[in-house]
Amino acid sequence: MATYDEGVIRDLIDGQLPWPTTKAIMSRYKDDGRFGTYLSILQDRVSWSERILLPLGEHIYIVQGENGRTVKCDCGYEFGDYRENWKLNSLVHVRDTREDIEEIYPGRQACDPDWMEIREFICPGCGTLLEAEAAPPGFPIVFDFLPDLETFYREWLRQPLPEEP
Amino acid sequence: MVVVSKAESEPTALKDRLLESERSFRESGYYDGISDLRSRKSDPLKYESLHTKLRSVVVSAREMARRISASPGVREVGEMVVALYTPEGDAISLSTGIMVHVHTASRFIKWMIRNGYEASPGIRPGDVFANNDAFIGTVQVPDVIDVVPIFHEEELVGWVGAVCHELEVGGVTLGGDVALAQERFAEGLFVCAEKVGENDELRRDYQIRCERNLRMPIYWILDEKAKVSACIEVREQVKALIDQIGLDYYKRATKEFIEEGRRAQLARVRQLMVPGRYRGHTFYGHVVEGKQGVLPMGNRNFLYAIPFELQVSGDGRPHLDFDGTGSWGYHSMNCTPAGMDGGLFVTLTQHMNFDGKVNDGVWLATDMNLPEGTWTNPDHHTAATATSWALLLPAFGCFQRLLSRGFLARGYKEEVFVGQVNSPMIEMGGQSQYGGIFGMALFECAAAGSGALGIKDGLDTAYVGWNPESDMGNIEIWELGMPMVYLGRSITPNSGGYGRFRGGNSFTSLWLVHRTPQLIIATSEHSSRVFDNAGMCGGYPAPTVQLHYAAHDVQLEEMIDQRKPLPHSLGIDPTITDMESLVMGRVREVEGPYLAEPLEEGDLFAHSYNGGGGYGDPIERDPASVARDVENGYVTPDTAESVYATLLNHEEGVWSVDAEATGERREAIRKARLGKAVPVRRWLEHERERVARKNLVDEVREMYRDSMRMSPRFADEFREFWNLAEDFEF
Repeated sequence: MATYDEGVIRDLIDGQLPWPTTKAIMSRYKDDGRFGTYLSILQDRVSWSERILLPLGEHIYIVQGENGRTVKCDCGYEFGDYRENWKLNSLVHVRDTREDIEEIYPGRQACDPDWMEIREFICPGCGTLLEAEAAPPGFPIVFDFLPDLETFYREWLRQPLPEEP
Repeated sequence: MVVVSKAESEPTALKDRLLESERSFRESGYYDGISDLRSRKSDPLKYESLHTKLRSVVVSAREMARRISASPGVREVGEMVVALYTPEGDAISLSTGIMVHVHTASRFIKWMIRNGYEASPGIRPGDVFANNDAFIGTVQVPDVIDVVPIFHEEELVGWVGAVCHELEVGGVTLGGDVALAQERFAEGLFVCAEKVGENDELRRDYQIRCERNLRMPIYWILDEKAKVSACIEVREQVKALIDQIGLDYYKRATKEFIEEGRRAQLARVRQLMVPGRYRGHTFYGHVVEGKQGVLPMGNRNFLYAIPFELQVSGDGRPHLDFDGTGSWGYHSMNCTPAGMDGGLFVTLTQHMNFDGKVNDGVWLATDMNLPEGTWTNPDHHTAATATSWALLLPAFGCFQRLLSRGFLARGYKEEVFVGQVNSPMIEMGGQSQYGGIFGMALFECAAAGSGALGIKDGLDTAYVGWNPESDMGNIEIWELGMPMVYLGRSITPNSGGYGRFRGGNSFTSLWLVHRTPQLIIATSEHSSRVFDNAGMCGGYPAPTVQLHYAAHDVQLEEMIDQRKPLPHSLGIDPTITDMESLVMGRVREVEGPYLAEPLEEGDLFAHSYNGGGGYGDPIERDPASVARDVENGYVTPDTAESVYATLLNHEEGVWSVDAEATGERREAIRKARLGKAVPVRRWLEHERERVARKNLVDEVREMYRDSMRMSPRFADEFREFWNLAEDFEF
C-alpha cells in the first residue's frame, strides 16, 4: 500500500506536482491514509477552528460547529445545516438573457436562453464562484451531495464521528 | 458439467445452468455462489498467471483482427473489442477498445440461452452467431457482435465475443449512426441473434444478404471476417490453456475472477467514495422540426431532461437512478437497457475499476433503475436506437461527475473527472470519388476534448467515453474513403469549458467536396440550444451547441487564382465564421442535425466536435496557463480577459501576463459578483411566478410535462420545490 508525505499530497491536490509523479501516483494502489492527510492540509489552510468533517467542493466543507454540522466556506461564511442544500443560502447570478450569456459564450457558442440558463452560485462572504449550473428555466436547483456521515465515519473509516450538539 | 446439443430434457442444459447461476447469486450474494476464492488462495501465482494469459490472448487477438478489417473505423480508430465469457455469458476478460460492448455481448449470449438456442438453431462447435439488435444486446445497429462457442470435447466451456462498429449499415440515412431513423424499420440491416456461420466459416447466404443490403458491404463483411478470426484465435488459445491447466481448474478460476472483480468494485467504492446521495443533471436539445426527411410522428423539437441520482449504500454498492427523465420518442436517440449497461460498464472500467480483475463482476456490483417507457428503457421494441449515444453519453458524463464528487470528498482529486461529452458524428454517402455509391461514418470524432480533472486540464482532442483508445485517425486515410479533402483540421478556440482547470479543447474540420456530383451528409449526437455537459466546483460547461456551415458556389479556383485567403477553420471571431467572411459563394448555417440538400464538387463543409467541462472558478486559473493557451490558440485573447480575468501583453508575437493588472481585475470581479448576484431565495420567489404561470417556451413546457408524467417522484419534488399546488401540471 502506498504512502506519501503530506507535502506530496499538498502539491498533488493543488495540481502542482509534476505530471510524471502524478501519473505514477494514479497508476499505483491508492494510499488509504489519504483522507486524514487531506483533512489535515485543508484544516491548516483555514483561519477558523471548527473541525472539517468532509469537503464538499473546492472551497466548501461540512464542519462540526457549535450549531451542529454546517456547510462553511474557506472565508468563514456559513451556509447552514449540511442536510439542506447550501446553494439556497448562497448568492446567484443567473445568465438568462442572450446578452448575459454572450458575455462568456459569445456568438455561435451561446446556448438559447429560452432553453437553458447559467446559474452562478457565489459565496456571499468572498465572491468565489462555488458552482455553475446549466439548466432550463424552472428546473429545480440541484442538491449535489448529501453524505451519510455516520456510515462513512463509523463503518468505512472506523473512526468516531463527533456527536452533534 | 454443461452439455449442449442434446435433448432439451437434459438436466444439465445450458439454460438450467444459467438459471442456477443467477439463483446462486441472488441467494448467496456471491457470483455463482462462489464464497471462497480458493484457487487464488491456494496458488496465487498460478491463478494470476492464468488471468494475465487470458487478457493477453484477447488483446492480441484484437490487434491481429484489426489488420484484417478494411474499415478505417476499425483499422485506424480501433472500433473493436474482444472478450472471453463463461458458458452462461459472463465476461471473464476483455481487450482494450470499445469496452462498452463487453456487457452488451453478455446480454446477447444470455438471450440466446434463454430463448432455447440449444435446441434450435443448435449450438455446435464451429458455429458463429451475430447480433446487432439493441433489444437483444447491443447499443445501436452499427455495433455488430459476433460470438462463437468454445467446446472442450463435447462440453461447452465458454464463449468468445468480438464487436466492430460498422461504418455503413444500409439505413434511411447513410453511414452507421442513422440520424433520420424514427423507428426500427429505417435503421438498416438487422441481424437478430442469428447463426451466421458454421464450421468456422461465414455462411454464404448471410454474406449475400450483407452484399445486397449495404452501401459499402466491404466494411461489414471484412469486419465479420476480422471478428471471426479473433474469436477463433482466442478459442484455440483458450483450449490450449485448458489442456495445460485442466478443465476443472479453468472453470473454477475463471469464475473466481468474476467474483473477485465484483468484490474489488465494492471495495473500490468504499476506498474512493463516501456513502450518501449524489445528484446531478444534464440536458439535450434535438432540433429537427420541419427538416427534410422527418416523418410526421417525429416532426417536432425535443428537449430532454436527464436528472441523475446515485445512491451509494453502506456496503459500497452504487445504485443509479434515471427516474424523472423523459419518454422514448420517434427519433433515433432512444437507448435499451443493454445500451445503458454498456454506458455503465465502460464508465466503471475506465473510471474506477481500472486495475485488477476488470470483468462482469463490476457490473454485478451495481444496479440501475431504468424506468420503463423512458428513453432509457423503451416499452416498444420498434423504437429506434441508431444514435442512442446522443443521450447515453451525456447521462454517463453526469455519472462521472457524481462519482467525482465522492473522490473529491475523499481527497483523491487526481481521479476527479468532469466527464465525457458527446462527440458529434458525421455520416455520409452518395457517389464516391471513384464513381460508385458509398456510405461511411467519419470516425475522427473519436478524439473530442475531455472534461477537466480535479488537478489538471482535460485532454485536448484526445478522448471519447466510448473508446478509451481515442484516436482521430490520419487525414489521408479518411480522404481515401470519402469524396472530400481537408482544407483544415484545427483546435477550436474556447471549446473547453472554462475553469481553474479547463476542459479539453476540441477541433473543427473544414473540407472541400471533391470529385462527386452528390454527397449526402447526416450528422448526429450534437445537442442544440442547450449544453449537454456541465462543469464542476465553479467550472463551466463546454459550449457544445454546434452549428454546421456549408458553402455553395464557392469558386475556389478563382479565389486561388486571385491569391485570396482560403478558409481552413471557422476562425476565432465568434460572431462570423471564416467561411462567411472569406468565401464568395452562398453560405448556409444549419442548426441541429445536418439534414439538408446534398453537397457537390466545389462545396465546402465544416463540422465541430465537443470540448469537455471545466473544474473550479475560472478566475483562479494560473495566469501563465492562460497566456500559454492564448499563445497556442486554445483560448482567445478576449476570453482570457472576460472569463479568466487575465490581462496579457502582446509584444513581438509573445504573450505575457500583466500580473498586477490581473490581480486587480480578479479582485474587482469578486466584488462585482457580490454586487450583481442576488440571494437565491429572493431569485426563487421571482422565478416561482414564472413557473406558476408556465411562462416557458413550448419545448421546455413539454419537457416538464413529460418528466412529470413519467415520474410521480419528479412531479412531487417539482411541485414541492416551487411550492405549487398538488394538482399543478404542465
